[in-house]
Amino acid sequence: MARPVRLAAQASAVALVVGLLALLVWRVAHDDNANVSSALDKGNHPTAPAFDLARLDGRGRIDLGEFRGKKPVVLDFWASWCTPCIHESKRLEAALHRYRGKIEFVGVDTKDFSEDARSWQRKHGITYPSVHDGGGKVLAKWGGLPIPRIFFVARDGKVVGQLVVEEDLPRYLRQIAES
Amino acid sequence: MKLALLLCLAALVAATAAHASEQHPTQAELEGEVMCPVCGTTLDQSSSPAAQQIKRVIARGIAAGDTKEEIKDRLVANYGESILAAPPHHGFGLLAWWLPIVGILTAAALVGIGAWHWSRVREPAPEAAAPLDPALERRLDDELRRFEA
Repeated sequence: MARPVRLAAQASAVALVVGLLALLVWRVAHDDNANVSSALDKGNHPTAPAFDLARLDGRGRIDLGEFRGKKPVVLDFWASWCTPCIHESKRLEAALHRYRGKIEFVGVDTKDFSEDARSWQRKHGITYPSVHDGGGKVLAKWGGLPIPRIFFVARDGKVVGQLVVEEDLPRYLRQIAES
Repeated sequence: MKLALLLCLAALVAATAAHASEQHPTQAELEGEVMCPVCGTTLDQSSSPAAQQIKRVIARGIAAGDTKEEIKDRLVANYGESILAAPPHHGFGLLAWWLPIVGILTAAALVGIGAWHWSRVREPAPEAAAPLDPALERRLDDELRRFEA
């Protein structure tokens, strides 16, 4: 093989290896584990990752970013196949009537079939609006499965906590209502 | 001639089977081609509530006479393309199908070029043999004559 051709081939091979190495480093640096839930576990209060998704009832879209600086938000990740979600969503529905006007309640129906999700809302009397996150991309940014996952976002857009035990619900509702 | 005929027949049978599968998919084959969104396996390997839900959606589609593509399109519209076990045969998904073939062909071409190159590099021809010593040559001739006699 001619010397210039051999040199070019060797340079291409080295460039390919360096490129793959850089990709690996980038992937590790942008670890998917960096989500809202893990940040809260470390004691941080991250800014709520924005999303703009279609409403499950077909009445337009909900852009989470629009609430920043205006209203606190309770974000409820649920699915119609998730049995414990029934209990949590009903608790939020009850809280909705108490905090109406002070707090925005938004459901995120995730990894779910939208027709089944609408039936589920009707069946269980859930009236707060939900968006559809069929592929679960938004859920992944907030912590992924399992669900239900409920997050509390203060007026300034910072996530102050997530529901872990039952007592968290009244505590966080009071906290973000006063934010 | 017979082999060509057999190959044509086999291709025809395969195409007919593929068409039938596309028009009238079975629950089992779709469950093997669709992922469970919460377990990372195909539906046929999962009994989770989310998998059961999609199995019901597929069953409804089959009962309504939908084609395989229609059922898959409905699932992709709802869950995104990650719901399919194999990448689609269009758009970016084509890369996943063609890249291995291109890789194999490129590797085969490189090996072929290398083999051709190496086969052209000949070993140096041996130097011409030095003339034998006259005494040794005579002795060799004598030996040969004796051997032939």
